[in-house]
Amino acid sequence: MPEISGFAFPNDIHVTWSLMIVMYPYITGFVAGSFIVTSLYHLFGRQEFKPVARLAMATSFAFLLVASLPLQLHLGQPQRGPYVIITPNFTSAMAGFGILYSFYMLVLVLELWFVWRQEIIDRARRSRGFKRTFYATLALGTYDTSPEAVEIDHKAIMILAGIGLPAACMLHGYVGFIFGAIKANPWWSTPLMPVIFLLSAAVSGIALLIIIYQVFAKLDRRPVVATCVQALASWLWFFLILTITLEELELIVMAYEKSESWLIISELLTTRLSFSYVTMQMIVGGLIPFILLAVVVLMNRYLHEKVRNTLATVAAFLTLIQVFAMRWNIVIGGQLLSKSLRGLRSPYEPEIFGREGVLMAIALFVAPFVILWIFDRVLGIEEPEGGADHPPAAPTAGQAAAGHAP
Amino acid sequence: MDHARHVFRIVLLVAIILAVVLLARGFLVPKSYGLYGRYRGASVAEQMNLRPPMHAGAAACADCHEDQAKKRTAGAHKNVSCEICHGPLGAHVKADGSVVKPPIDRSFTLCARCHRKIEGRPAKFPQVVLDQHVNGPVEGKVCLQCHDPHSPKP
Repeated sequence: MPEISGFAFPNDIHVTWSLMIVMYPYITGFVAGSFIVTSLYHLFGRQEFKPVARLAMATSFAFLLVASLPLQLHLGQPQRGPYVIITPNFTSAMAGFGILYSFYMLVLVLELWFVWRQEIIDRARRSRGFKRTFYATLALGTYDTSPEAVEIDHKAIMILAGIGLPAACMLHGYVGFIFGAIKANPWWSTPLMPVIFLLSAAVSGIALLIIIYQVFAKLDRRPVVATCVQALASWLWFFLILTITLEELELIVMAYEKSESWLIISELLTTRLSFSYVTMQMIVGGLIPFILLAVVVLMNRYLHEKVRNTLATVAAFLTLIQVFAMRWNIVIGGQLLSKSLRGLRSPYEPEIFGREGVLMAIALFVAPFVILWIFDRVLGIEEPEGGADHPPAAPTAGQAAAGHAP
Repeated sequence: MDHARHVFRIVLLVAIILAVVLLARGFLVPKSYGLYGRYRGASVAEQMNLRPPMHAGAAACADCHEDQAKKRTAGAHKNVSCEICHGPLGAHVKADGSVVKPPIDRSFTLCARCHRKIEGRPAKFPQVVLDQHVNGPVEGKVCLQCHDPHSPKP
């Protein structure tokens, strides 16, 4: 039985955008967030991000491959995935995803290819038989790793990173736009929505990298570079402050204006969303990591490396929860308001099994890590010792053997 | 430019991919897309042909039932189509020309659909309070015992 409160329209009592629509901005956020981190190194030459630059790019790619799956699972029409890319519609806001997604995918794959080119060539040279054919095909048959070719690679990476960063920001800002542009829903309809989505994407991307960088380092038995974790924690703190400030400002403006919609939004936040908004988004995922990261950033010199990494990791876990709660509160919360703006619809409880269930959401979240593992097996995420990847700010050309395609 | 060979190859590959996408688009976008708007124009005719029209209008009934048609057009029900009570013409005259006796809805609920007393109806429109009509509540085929639907009088 539906549990409606207040005066809700009787034909309008169910939440139709399910958990999959929560997963869609959550996963897309990692794409943009990771790319922001990789750009800090490749585009802006921040050396402290060198240890995570390649991992961040691979993470962005892995999540991008999964980004359209929640939509396809929700629609139940998988052929629409390629359709939305191949048959772009420039007048549809929803179809805008296909255009932005495919453009960003193109730029990211090109950039990946230029960054990993020397690794591909090295593997092609080292392997035999089918593997050699595979890597030779990936290298497009040219084995040129001369200093001149490497220099060209760097220029290409710079240009692609320069295009990729706005493309990644557009991709995720667009997801916010989809909600922010829905005029009939006061919980969504704000121009701040794309900005908040973008900033929380940066939060989730950096938080995820803090965790997977340390996990990968432990698995590979490599030392965790303290300055890298420290820098990631500082940027996470910065973006977390911006995100939560904007999220709160939006609410404070609504509360101060006391417009007719505030009546129902305040009820929504204190009843249906009291746990997911107040407890999870604001306190567990907002205030606590804010304090932990403040300790990491402000008391850095007094902290032992292990303590700092642990604090940063715990804060990263909590901010991942914060961002998920934010997506949930936007997507599900916005649908709990009746269009009457005088009543709330039934609370939404996702199914466990099934196409749009909790297990599927977990599988969607795990899938990029499987892709990352495959990526690591095929191309190697970590830079090889004495490796070839270097920032545009300080190119060290000529470390790889020059050669041409046989 | 000798060292930029890989760049030319990747640009060529991207161009090939774009060409394949454009080619695929040519096949995937239906021919009649955009004929009337942002949808497949041919679907209008397809949907129309899926359900052959059953109703033909009062003028078609008048081809055979001229007397009844004249009586109806002279009376207060001149704007009420024959098919409202007699069912669609397609169920009466089949596609092969055979004629089937049409079902006639003589229930008082059909009359009540227009003539039940509702505050929102124009005051001049003939309306009855069903529970208090003549000798108490009306039910069954009682309306047609007193009123001729082809030329009703109050």
